[in-house]
Amino acid sequence: MFFLKKVKKKVKKQQEQNQKQQNQNQQQQGFLSNNLDQNLQELQNIYQNCMDVVFRQFQIGGKTKAALIYIDGLANIEETDASVLAPLMKESDVRVNGEQQSIDMGIDVNHILEQKLTVSKIKKVRTITECIEYISGGSPVLLIDKQIEGFALGLSKWEKRSIEEPVGESVIRGPREGFTESLGTNLALLRRKMRSPQLKMKSMKIGEYTQTEVVISYIEGIAEQTLLQEVETRLNRIKVDGILETSYIEEYIEDNPYSPFPQVLNTERPDVVVASLLEGRVAILQDGTPFALIVPVSFYSLLQSTEDYYQRSLISTVTRWLRYLFLLISLLLPSLYVAILTFHQEMIPTTLLVTIAASRELVPFPALVEALIMEIVFEALREAGVRLPKQAGAAVSIVGALVIGQAAVQAGIVSAPLIMVVSLTGIASFTIPRYTAGIALRMLRFPMILLAGTLGLLGIMLGLLMILTHMAALRSFGVPYLSPLAPMQGREMKDVLVRAPWWKLNTRPSLTDNIQRQGPNQKPNPDYGNDKTSKGKGGSL
Amino acid sequence: MGILQKAAKILFVCVHLMLLSGCWDRTEVNDLALIVGLGIDQKKDGKIMLTVQLVVPKSIGGGGQMGGGGGGGGETIVRSGTGATVADAISNLQEKLSRRVFWGHTKVVVFGERAAKAGIRQHLDFLSRNPQTRLRSNVLVSKGTAKSVLELLPPIEQSSAEVMRELSESQLLLRVTIKDALQMLSGDAGAAALPMVKILPPEKGKKELQTIAFIQRTAIFKKDKMIGDIDDKLTRGVLWLRNEIKLANITVRLKGEKGNITSTLIRAHTEFIPKYGKGKWKMIVKATAEDDILLNGTKLDLLNPKHTKMIEKELENETDKRIRAALKKVQKELKADIFGFAEIFHRKYPREWNRVKNRWEEIFPTVEVVVKTKVYVRRPGMNTAPQGLPEQEVKQ
Amino acid sequence: MIEKGKISATQMGIMMYLTIIATAILLVPAITARQAKQDMWLSPFWASFIGFLTVYIAVQLHQLYPQKNLIEYSEDILGKFLGKAVGLIFLFFYLHVSGIIIREYGEFIVGSFLLHTPLVFVMGTIILVCSFAVRCGLEVIGRLAEMIVPVVIIMILILLILLIPDMEVANMFPIMEKGMMPSLKGAVIPQGWFTEFFLIAFLLPYVADRNKAKKWGMISVVAVMLTLSFVNIAVLFVLGELTAGFIYPAMSAVRYISIAGFLEHIEAIVAALWVAGVFLKIAVFYYALVLGTAQWLNLSDYRPIIFPVGFLLLLFSIWSASNLMELTHFLGSSSPFYRISIQMGIPLILLFIAKWRKRASNSNQGKYQG
Repeated sequence: MFFLKKVKKKVKKQQEQNQKQQNQNQQQQGFLSNNLDQNLQELQNIYQNCMDVVFRQFQIGGKTKAALIYIDGLANIEETDASVLAPLMKESDVRVNGEQQSIDMGIDVNHILEQKLTVSKIKKVRTITECIEYISGGSPVLLIDKQIEGFALGLSKWEKRSIEEPVGESVIRGPREGFTESLGTNLALLRRKMRSPQLKMKSMKIGEYTQTEVVISYIEGIAEQTLLQEVETRLNRIKVDGILETSYIEEYIEDNPYSPFPQVLNTERPDVVVASLLEGRVAILQDGTPFALIVPVSFYSLLQSTEDYYQRSLISTVTRWLRYLFLLISLLLPSLYVAILTFHQEMIPTTLLVTIAASRELVPFPALVEALIMEIVFEALREAGVRLPKQAGAAVSIVGALVIGQAAVQAGIVSAPLIMVVSLTGIASFTIPRYTAGIALRMLRFPMILLAGTLGLLGIMLGLLMILTHMAALRSFGVPYLSPLAPMQGREMKDVLVRAPWWKLNTRPSLTDNIQRQGPNQKPNPDYGNDKTSKGKGGSL
Repeated sequence: MGILQKAAKILFVCVHLMLLSGCWDRTEVNDLALIVGLGIDQKKDGKIMLTVQLVVPKSIGGGGQMGGGGGGGGETIVRSGTGATVADAISNLQEKLSRRVFWGHTKVVVFGERAAKAGIRQHLDFLSRNPQTRLRSNVLVSKGTAKSVLELLPPIEQSSAEVMRELSESQLLLRVTIKDALQMLSGDAGAAALPMVKILPPEKGKKELQTIAFIQRTAIFKKDKMIGDIDDKLTRGVLWLRNEIKLANITVRLKGEKGNITSTLIRAHTEFIPKYGKGKWKMIVKATAEDDILLNGTKLDLLNPKHTKMIEKELENETDKRIRAALKKVQKELKADIFGFAEIFHRKYPREWNRVKNRWEEIFPTVEVVVKTKVYVRRPGMNTAPQGLPEQEVKQ
Repeated sequence: MIEKGKISATQMGIMMYLTIIATAILLVPAITARQAKQDMWLSPFWASFIGFLTVYIAVQLHQLYPQKNLIEYSEDILGKFLGKAVGLIFLFFYLHVSGIIIREYGEFIVGSFLLHTPLVFVMGTIILVCSFAVRCGLEVIGRLAEMIVPVVIIMILILLILLIPDMEVANMFPIMEKGMMPSLKGAVIPQGWFTEFFLIAFLLPYVADRNKAKKWGMISVVAVMLTLSFVNIAVLFVLGELTAGFIYPAMSAVRYISIAGFLEHIEAIVAALWVAGVFLKIAVFYYALVLGTAQWLNLSDYRPIIFPVGFLLLLFSIWSASNLMELTHFLGSSSPFYRISIQMGIPLILLFIAKWRKRASNSNQGKYQG
């Protein structure tokens, strides 16, 4: 019963909201009238108490009234002065061909557009809503008396960060540019990497108040239509007052919102986005944040670093395996410590066990509590390190951990081997390239420690099985989270178990039917017999 | 999704219940008495005395200094308990220990001579039944009581148990694990051989206990009772017959030459060819060895193949002698089939063997053993000619 | 259909492999060794015939009723009342067998590692974890199998390699000392495990690539046979005549591993990985049981009965035996006949009746071949 009531309430609320919105829309749907004063009045009403909106009224050729409306700081004022106000105000005669026309007819708009306004991007606007849209977007809007059309001038300019190297995803080799907070810049970065017109960018607005521009980017012919539709439906579902970061969107479009694992990849790097698009994925970019979202993703793609594809394949393979190993360490090491030390003491070589026992002789806590204390302290230090200014944080955090660890051992609160375990776990968790995946595993190790303290290795195994079951059941936009390992896709193993050389990676992941990504026989095959350089050397071969 | 969420909640609650209900098998390392050596003795009244050697983890510097708990020094102590059986003795022993006994690190099991003579089966049963003990623990018999061996404080290794383990692992003489012992006892032959340790007299100026026990003899068991022991020389012969010889230096004296030649064994293999005919059991033992020369005290140039042949011949004789000596003692006198001839016959002649299965004890001493040895000298070491000898004196 | 997920034939094969191997590896060597002695490595070969036959029967029945599983087609074949009765027999059988499997697991864990932990608790936790997997459906169980199988196979291989230094090949001789009989006798009990292949009757309707199902079923039987043989050989080589004396010979052999003096006592790790295998085994049985029950009761979803059935499983696992001796005695004596008669006898009868009915209806309706 209670549930039903709730549902009814919800439905009612929604209906009310819809009505509200419709009313608002109708009000704003109003077309511009040919009376400038009336239009201005309406706009001023809307922008009441908005001191950043500037209404600049002037006369064209000393006769026709006109007004320029823009937001201070978003419009390029110098440019507006030079190419709009100057030519228009200096205009003496705007009548076409000197013909006598009554003032009532107004000025010749075409003449102004064609000859006077030295602005490349001009859009005609007919409704008040459109006006507001452009003004809020930074474009000054020019309204002229006796005209039912206004002109949005593409002269927006605001302070933005220049393109910098992304802090979160730095590489040794590879492009160093990262997205900025400006959507236009970001789209340009993408377009510069992929010139094909098949690269599509669909725009939409999310957020009732923020009206944030969101762009869905994909490659036509590679990305599956069904996937694209799914992304669009999920995005369209979002009804919210505002979004400030793509993480808002992420939480609205996830398959399983309660999972600790990220089901959407976020990146600051245009090259990562382009590579993902080429694999048949869809990217979601948003104005105001440098983080783009990529869907769908599987768990293993969160374990891949951009650089895997820029380094030599053999080295990347080794790095990958190292990462897989440390992934397990970051999840399991503290719990293994607890399990082995309290349940399976026979597994440790005698001499080592004696050493550990000796170092624990004065520690008052059981191993379980000891491990929990140190892990929590470490997490706190890490979190504090993030809040500290920039890169200093990481160093401070580690130093702090070491210093505290040293002191804790000396004070007899924890044993020395545990400090090593904790630090190793910390380091291991930093080898996972995606922060979101790393943090998920870091958090999961706490229940694992508890399980290890209850049932030993058996508890760890049961915990692992639960995590594995959860991951096997998880999907990201319909794609199984553990694919291509389960369900097994033999074809894709060459990009999971190893990082095969590029000329061998000739297929895309099975997200798409357009599977072939390169021509046949791409393996380098230098033919020394026909080599001109060797011929020149006179048969040295 | 809602269901999943509910399941997650239930699981969460369950996890907490688990924790609340306590941790039955959790034991901290510091509540364990780490037993490295176990000694079993039989008292005169037939009771079992169990002696354990345990490591006391002691932190150096007491944690006050830099890197406090780092260094772990092991000190060992010895405790004993008595009871009708081993398990009984353990509970008696546990009363005297503040920490729970933990068998996971038991490296050696030592039987006192008397206990060995009374039978070791029931003790081995305990050791293989207990989930903590290691089947790989080395089994030894001590001359005298097991306690006296475990009480020693060796100058080099951490504990006397460690000394015995190292000596066992070196495989200089016999090496037997619990599993091997069980296998031998339950095998067709019904006999077993265990290494036997003896206390090395302490050096001058050292205290009485500051010494080690070393493997010097081999105890021979029939069924599970010790019936006798043989010395190290004979043991080597036994090792040949068990195809277990790993290390051996043989010194020979050539006819007509002054000085000795010592060779060291690189590789050895013994092959057994059983024969049966007309109610007669016969075993051909083919021992093959590859040797390097270790010392040349003669004047012979070893590069000469003729000399090598001579040495090989002599080495063969020596090996042959060793094997025969062992055979004589073990087969004819002790009448215990510790070589595993029974299994070999069983494998080759299952039907015939099954007929005499129950009389094997009588038949074994009558088995005719033919020993054929072959020694190859592979390398003369780093030198060819005898060193420190003027060239004209070297015999080419 | 209640189950909407699809699995591939490969997944089915892999799933069955783990399902059979998980407990067989633990218990079969000792039980086989008791009868077959040094010929114990031969027994899996003989026992596998039953496996092939079971797979064949299940596939044949499936071809006659491609969309249905055992609970559904037994009604078609025998009529409503008898069919329901057969369904009930199977459900109780699986309830009982699952209970035994869980008990085997619990006894092993409690007997070898967690001596003081209550048996109920150990069994309860695994049932809980399994119910979590069953709730996620067949697809997820299939994927889990794909994740776990490589780990289990690699583990077995590594263990075999680590045991090589301790192997004594001579333990194998004389081969067939008393003829074929001991190894055949030793095969009787492993047959019980091979009949478990009949579980595919519950999985076949959800296999996406049907034409490969038979192939993968057979491959699975071969894989199980080879694995059991290898494990038997390894155990025999290491422990020899002692094998029969241990309850878990494979575990005892693992305990014997020692590499370079520090890699010792790895049995806890091995046991933990083995738990992954048992988890899958229980999950598959549990799934078949829950799905069958839901179909038998004509429910539209099987999820609501997962926890009640889980509780029943816990009760059955407690009731199945009063102690370990009774459990192993049951496994070593009457269980193979019990398992064979239900997992092979009944399906065989069903197949004959179904064929006979088809023929009868074919002769009425003219020839119709699918």
